[in-house]
Amino acid sequence: MALEAVTASLLRRLHAAPTPLHRAWTLQCRHHASTSNSTSTSAILATQEPQDLDPSTFHEATGPSRRKFDPVKTAFKRSEQLPPSRYHFRPPKYYRGELHPHQPPPTSDPASRAFVPGPFSLPRLEQTYHDTVASDLMTMTYMHFPPGVYPQQKGERYREWIGDSPYFKNRPRRGPRGGSVLRMLRKPITFRNVPQLERVTVHCMVKEATSGSAPLHVAGMVMQAITNVRSTSHATRKSVAAFGVRAGQHLSVTCELTGETMYHFLSKVVDVVMPKIKDFRGIKGSTGDNSGNLAFGLTPEDVALFPEVEVNYDMYPPKMIPGCHVIIHTSAKTDYDARLLAQAIGVPFYGKFVD
Amino acid sequence: MQPPSMALLRAFSPLWKAPIRPSIFSGLLQTHQPQQHTADFSSTAPRCKRKKGKRTDMRITNIRYHLFHPMTPRPLRWSRNRHLRHWTIHRAWQLYQHNLRHKRDEELQKQYFSMYNACEALRNIDNYGLTAEDRTAMGEPPSEGKETGRLYRIAMLKRGMWNGPPIEYARIQTDTPPRNGWNHQWTR
Repeated sequence: MALEAVTASLLRRLHAAPTPLHRAWTLQCRHHASTSNSTSTSAILATQEPQDLDPSTFHEATGPSRRKFDPVKTAFKRSEQLPPSRYHFRPPKYYRGELHPHQPPPTSDPASRAFVPGPFSLPRLEQTYHDTVASDLMTMTYMHFPPGVYPQQKGERYREWIGDSPYFKNRPRRGPRGGSVLRMLRKPITFRNVPQLERVTVHCMVKEATSGSAPLHVAGMVMQAITNVRSTSHATRKSVAAFGVRAGQHLSVTCELTGETMYHFLSKVVDVVMPKIKDFRGIKGSTGDNSGNLAFGLTPEDVALFPEVEVNYDMYPPKMIPGCHVIIHTSAKTDYDARLLAQAIGVPFYGKFVD
Repeated sequence: MQPPSMALLRAFSPLWKAPIRPSIFSGLLQTHQPQQHTADFSSTAPRCKRKKGKRTDMRITNIRYHLFHPMTPRPLRWSRNRHLRHWTIHRAWQLYQHNLRHKRDEELQKQYFSMYNACEALRNIDNYGLTAEDRTAMGEPPSEGKETGRLYRIAMLKRGMWNGPPIEYARIQTDTPPRNGWNHQWTR
């Protein structure tokens, strides 16, 4: 429709010129002359010039060589569409690397495929952390170093080779005593490194998925409902004949939570689910991986206590609701700092605290 | 195993609108009503023995449908003005967040250094609240060995600190907190 209107207007303009061309031309001449401030000569020129010219060529374009201009026809005859008049950015089909000049739009751009709108809420837990917990943790763990005293520096972490052998020179250093794992260094906590929640991983391994995919799908859906994050399934790496597990089978589901969803999930676990668990003592005090990450498990009955599952419990086959592991990743470097943070958030612990 | 029925797909499809919920008035208006998908949506248990093959649970079919249907929305495309509006709001939000972070950091830093100053003062003070300089100015004899910085040493012991805060502390802040913080008499 728009195209027709455009062509019609074009045709109109071509067919009936409102003023003869020579008149328009003289007007233009006059205009230019007036700007040069020589009125008398310009007036003479304006009267003389049209007489010199032959006007007929402008008016009647007679001759067999002239083509009929029909834009509609040409538009229909055209096999490919013309490019749009304005510059139009097209993101690359695939990512070619940082150095390529054709880059996809940034994630904050709504035209990006990775754009995630939000945040839509300000979680209470986050507010509580920033308002009270952070400063309290800093106060509790404050170590005073008087002027001139510095925190103890640890010795070299990789050990040198000491001996008479000439081959010890320039030899790569040895790992620490008692294992190859290099433990994290704990620096005194200051206002720069107050332990903080970084992310939460919710993981569940579905053993029943060896026989069919239905339990895995149900587990994935439950995880999504609980965490508000798309779940990812993982293939088994090694086959274990005792469990009937072959390598390459998809048996586990994880969700990675950060930011808003993480805070919502943790506050749900702490305030809704944990108080409802039967005979709940808390989380085992020895949990942790020595580098500030805590983990605990929830049984299928506990997962069913989540409000999202509870409200439409009938949607899931009751036998297929999975249990899960929750791993809290914190920025603390040791487990006792991480445990302090978890306790300040409201996670109870029982038993002996290890490291 | 039978292939999963298409009934559900049809039910959720925006193109193929099948009347799932039979309206009361539809029977009055339409004389001929096509009888379809009744078996899939009936509440009676399926007769597994008569029907050959194991039928998948309807709930699982439902979950699978919602887990895997490929309807991904296309990215948003906005006009120049709308885009600029979004960009302005985005930048403003980022700026606000940056300022907030900065303010929090400053607050923590202030607290840290005031703690440092307090500890430093405690370390130099004796039981009477006098530093060594004060004592010489007042013409008093210097204090005994253990007297100076006693409170500081006690503070640095951090006795019971690693047991964590009490459970009453760990409550998420609310707009309307209860008058009595914790019900210690509660039993199941």
